[in-house]
Amino acid sequence: MSRFAADYFDGQTSRTHPVRAAVEAGQLHVQGESIEFAFPLDRIHVAPPAGQARGVVHLPDARELHSADHAALLELSRLTSSAHPERWAHLLESRLRYALAALVVAVLIVFVGLRWGVPVLAEGVAHTLPASLENRLGKESLSLMESIYLSPSALPAARQHGLAQQLDRLCKAQGCPAHRLYFRASRALGANAFALPGGTVVVTDQLVKLAQHDQEVLAVIAHELGHVERRHSLRLALQSIGAGVLLVAITGDIGSFSDLAAGLPSLLLQSGYSRDMEREADGYALRWLNAACIPPRRFADILNRLNKTTPDAVGLLSSHPGTADRISPFLAPGPCP
Amino acid sequence: MSYTKQYPMQFTGRGGEYFVIWIVNIALTLATLSIYSAWAKVRTLRWFYGHTLLDNQAFSYLASPMQILKGRLIAVAALAAYYMATFFAPMLAVALLVIFLVFLPWIVVNSLRFHARLSAYRGLRFDFTGTMGEAAVIYLLLPLLLLPTLGLILPYMAYRQIKFIAGHTVYGQTAAHYQGSLKPFWGVYLLSLALILLPIAIMAYGGYQAYQMQASGMPKEMAAAATGTFIVAGMVAFYLMFPVVGALIQARTANLLYNGTVLGPVGFTSSQRARDLVWIFLSNLVLIAITLGLFIPWAKVRLARYRAQHLTVTGPQELGSFVAGQHQASTATGSEMADLLDLNLGLT
Repeated sequence: MSRFAADYFDGQTSRTHPVRAAVEAGQLHVQGESIEFAFPLDRIHVAPPAGQARGVVHLPDARELHSADHAALLELSRLTSSAHPERWAHLLESRLRYALAALVVAVLIVFVGLRWGVPVLAEGVAHTLPASLENRLGKESLSLMESIYLSPSALPAARQHGLAQQLDRLCKAQGCPAHRLYFRASRALGANAFALPGGTVVVTDQLVKLAQHDQEVLAVIAHELGHVERRHSLRLALQSIGAGVLLVAITGDIGSFSDLAAGLPSLLLQSGYSRDMEREADGYALRWLNAACIPPRRFADILNRLNKTTPDAVGLLSSHPGTADRISPFLAPGPCP
Repeated sequence: MSYTKQYPMQFTGRGGEYFVIWIVNIALTLATLSIYSAWAKVRTLRWFYGHTLLDNQAFSYLASPMQILKGRLIAVAALAAYYMATFFAPMLAVALLVIFLVFLPWIVVNSLRFHARLSAYRGLRFDFTGTMGEAAVIYLLLPLLLLPTLGLILPYMAYRQIKFIAGHTVYGQTAAHYQGSLKPFWGVYLLSLALILLPIAIMAYGGYQAYQMQASGMPKEMAAAATGTFIVAGMVAFYLMFPVVGALIQARTANLLYNGTVLGPVGFTSSQRARDLVWIFLSNLVLIAITLGLFIPWAKVRLARYRAQHLTVTGPQELGSFVAGQHQASTATGSEMADLLDLNLGLT
């Protein structure tokens, strides 16, 4: 190995000693004016050089060699330390092509993790969490929504009671996941229904008014029961926590970039998750309606009417699959006469 | 013959060189689910330190990635415990928050100490000797007084922070002293206040004008349009003022920090200007936005270069006479905690 020029600091004072150093017979020899010593390679440590910045060789007793001879330092670092992750960094940094390729691969890994890894993980966690916790989550979310969007239902008690009884009767006949049905008015949400963790199902007054038949309301509730059955709401919450943790962990060191990037991907992926979930819930609703001998058309009818009042854009940001796609399975006549 | 010599600080790194390091850091951090971020941090700092030259000698960053990783894991675990607690048991979270506040001085002192002890120049390490008691006063007690004093304590708080940081820094065995006074801090913050109030004054003036116009018989719509123009202009000015005031405070505080500090035979001259920083911040922001973030490495290098170029050390003919102090170990937990919480310790 060739000699290289360096500045030597003895760790006692800030004085600079210009020296020359070289590796001979497993030892690093350092030579300068009134300085001559050698250390075995296993007692020195080279801070892996970064770019063209000055490199440091750490010698025993806080002594240091500083050098701008990167080739020599790199060679020395290969001779001294065992494999460490910065070897990879070196290799990738050596060509811009490698660096860009590494970035593309890494982004792909993260995308796959977010798109498929986190949902699988969330499903696993959702099944291990105790029901009491899920119920509490549902209660908290409901009271939060009540304070923001929901007001007490203005429907006559008899009407509410009638719908709840029809649902109960059907559930006794064919089984439903554990649930609690609430009617609430909401100007912000309009005609809508949603399921919260722990089986809380909320139907808005506006939806009940939009329905031209009780079975249409029941069909929508069946769809929400599908979400309850699959614990979608809890899974969604866990997924957004998981994706958030992942993104923060990953971008934590990237700095200001994270502010730009953090929000967007999770939003895009969110709608992806829930689209799959909507399909699952639709499938559940179709089976449930057929078992209850309610014509599946009822779901298609109210969905069409909903679509007319609130035109929802089909695209990346819409959480429901296009309405035409959704309703086609419901247009076929059911098995009941 | 003069006994002192001027040593300009230099920054020799280039944006393109950092870009490659930066992008590989991001790639490996993503690929390892952020485990590599500890190595990335060390590598980045080693690069920045190694390109910062004084008297043709580079600074060196000595932390090992494992140290950073451990500290980071502990900090993340503590924070995760806190968030879990807020979720499942709000009362426990309150207790944890109190514990955290009690720990805050510890975090501050440990963070500053870690930062100092792992920075070296010419083979000698820095150290930080501030006490937890003083940190408690500056980072807990004084912020509590911000509200009751309507923010009037802010200049004093900034002054104490700078004095705390600069006055307890040690290089080798040589302790730094902070000789700056409180008065210039008042100047910085009064000017900042005036700049923030300016847009509000514009809006108020607009409202008054509109009232006058209406009183003198101008149609209502025109008066309303005039008021709207003034209000929009005021709002725009208000939002533009934030980076301006931020740059002003950063530049002036850096100057006050360095110009008031004496390290044995060595003094500092810092000459950052707010308008330069405003230009750098705003142009960086625009270029980062246009390039979707790819400009970030150049932006950081620009800032580092500007800061180095505006710092000069005045010292003896030979800087080789500093003597080493005791080496002491330090853990990264406090520092990583401070990073994670985005604690602003007053460092610029």
